[in-house]
Amino acid sequence: MSKKIVIIDDEPDICTYLTAALEDYGFNSQSVHDHQSFMPTIESVQPDLIILDIMMPGRSGISMYKELKNHKTYPSVAVIMMSGMSAENEFSPEGVRNLLHDASIPLPEGFLEKPIQIPELIQMINDILSKE
Amino acid sequence: MNISSQQLDIWIKDQLFNAIPMGIAVIDKDYNLVMANGSFEKMFGAWKNRKCYSVYKSRDSVCPTCKGSISFEDGVPRVSQEVGFNKNGRMTRYIKHTIPVIQEDGSIPFLVEMTTDITEIEQVRREHQLLFDQVPCSISIIDRDMRIVKCNKRMQEIFGNLEGQLCYEAMNDRRDICVACPAKKTFEDGKMHSGHSIVTKKDGKTAHFLVRAVPLSFDGEYFDQVMEMSVDVTQTLKLEQELKIAHTFMEIMIDASMDGIIAVDQGRNVRIFNKAARTIFNVPENHRVTKSELNSMISEEFIEQVSSEMTHVSLPETTVQTLDGKPRPVRLIGTNLRVDNNYMGIAFSIQDLRELKQLEKEKLESERLAAVGQTVAGLAHGVKNLISGLEGGMYMLNSGMNKSNIERVQEGMEMLVRNIGRISLFVKEFLTFSKGRKIRVKKSQPEMVADDVVELYAENAKRVDIELTHTCDNAIASAPMDYEGMHECLTNLVGNAIDACRFSDKSSGCHVWVRTFEKDKAIVYEVEDDGCGMDYEVKKKVFTNFFTTKGLGGTGLGLLTTQKIVQEHGGTITMESEEGKGTIFRISLPRNRLPILIEDNEQDDNTP
Repeated sequence: MSKKIVIIDDEPDICTYLTAALEDYGFNSQSVHDHQSFMPTIESVQPDLIILDIMMPGRSGISMYKELKNHKTYPSVAVIMMSGMSAENEFSPEGVRNLLHDASIPLPEGFLEKPIQIPELIQMINDILSKE
Repeated sequence: MNISSQQLDIWIKDQLFNAIPMGIAVIDKDYNLVMANGSFEKMFGAWKNRKCYSVYKSRDSVCPTCKGSISFEDGVPRVSQEVGFNKNGRMTRYIKHTIPVIQEDGSIPFLVEMTTDITEIEQVRREHQLLFDQVPCSISIIDRDMRIVKCNKRMQEIFGNLEGQLCYEAMNDRRDICVACPAKKTFEDGKMHSGHSIVTKKDGKTAHFLVRAVPLSFDGEYFDQVMEMSVDVTQTLKLEQELKIAHTFMEIMIDASMDGIIAVDQGRNVRIFNKAARTIFNVPENHRVTKSELNSMISEEFIEQVSSEMTHVSLPETTVQTLDGKPRPVRLIGTNLRVDNNYMGIAFSIQDLRELKQLEKEKLESERLAAVGQTVAGLAHGVKNLISGLEGGMYMLNSGMNKSNIERVQEGMEMLVRNIGRISLFVKEFLTFSKGRKIRVKKSQPEMVADDVVELYAENAKRVDIELTHTCDNAIASAPMDYEGMHECLTNLVGNAIDACRFSDKSSGCHVWVRTFEKDKAIVYEVEDDGCGMDYEVKKKVFTNFFTTKGLGGTGLGLLTTQKIVQEHGGTITMESEEGKGTIFRISLPRNRLPILIEDNEQDDNTP
């Protein structure tokens, strides 16, 4: 059975792109554009992995990540954080650690800088999922 | 003896006694007045059948110091100065000559007493003595040998008693006569002379005295003495010296001051116009600034305002005119000069702001350059998003073609077109920002800008069910500002507010309130929404470039540009936001920091 992946990004083009690419590599993927439908989608899909953008209007990926990690059911779901920011711009394990403001929350399993290289993403997903 | 000498004898016997201008009285051994002349009666009144002590001294018994009784004994004539009472009971001073009348057998039956009234002479003498001693200066009388014959009390208090000493030895600590001795000059030409003398007082301290020598002669005749009057001017000299130092100090300070200093007197005549002021106002070194010239340099209204105020009037940024009619940006402070509440004039302090303005301009420019540098770094980030979009489009296009999935190809094409459109928008905004548009100041009505922007968005807001309103409570005076620039700022803020409403959880009924008002001499624009608000990470990055939460919908330059324009207006932009509740942006433009509205040639020269 193919692994289920949820993509959360406010940018529809990115969602379309990633959904199509992941499907081509045999994953079952679904995307979410807005933070309102983020939890319901996860509940209904029960994903094996989540790809989460950081900068989104209304609510940031960081805040969604915290909710996920504090949830009774989903703290163990693997997360790849994705951002257009680069390491100098805080998109690094240390930067995210600062943004989280909470040492008890574990860091996400992967960090993915935009623009996305599909082979690199697939490699990262496979590595994370095979560890589990 | 001829007839005339007989007549003279009779006259002497009968008339002389009464005609003598001196009181004559004859007293017997029992102190009875037995005879007295008219002058005596004039002095002491009725005398017949009275005792001498009663008449002279209003006493009931013989005087304890009676000199008459001694003369009765020894027959020696005496002169004495007495104090008694005249016929009106007033105290009288008189000189009394007592002459015993000695008979051939040696007995003395009578005394003749001759009395001269010296009350007035004595009074005058005493007054002179008092004056001599108590006058507030030292007086000495010096003879031709320069020996001090007499000195008054005051002089004795200061120098001790110097009578008999040589003046230059006693007072000046010298062996020879002083070079410029005024007394010496007076002895030479008989005229009055003044001089300055450094003397040693009896306490050993040195003092400066102002000396005046006057010949002590009567009716311009030969004189042997000079009266020297001297006043201690040590304190005065010291004060004078201090005043001179203070004055010199002040003059140096005024002249050396970096700020222009101008002072006018009560009649508005220019009294002080220092070097710095000359530089600011282009006034040549030898030119004396007139009242009317000053009125054209510093506005007359300002001068009027200062003279009606009790203290300072300060204009942090204003424009004055040089002598040759050029505008100068300055900081101007006018101070009403008052001494004990008496109006003395006005002082102006003028700080040349040209250099400061230039520095400000340079600072702005360097900030802009720094921002461009930051922009280049941030550019990669902005471009990444665009590349992602393009790559997505390419992927969809390629994979769609490989799979003969025409829908995917279509989608890929659309993605490519959309992202290419975004690239051109991005490039355009980026260029605008990096170029740094020149600020065009004109007199504008602040609330009109907000009105325009709200009108611009009215349709847009209505379509997505957002209530967009503009309120302007109090009447706001026009202000120099860059209308287009401020329009851009408000366009960005209102656009953001509408987006925030669209992103919020509320399905409909969001509000955007735009408010224009003036508070504490600052023009304030507020743009408030009850949309999605911002969380901590977003708030932190709001004013950094290329920060966007709108994905490819924004370039991340809007707020940065807004901030830049607000700063160019000398203003500040602040923000309060609460996640899920809404956001409020506030632009505050203090009037005194707004750009100056002048068609200044120099300003144009400096701007490329």
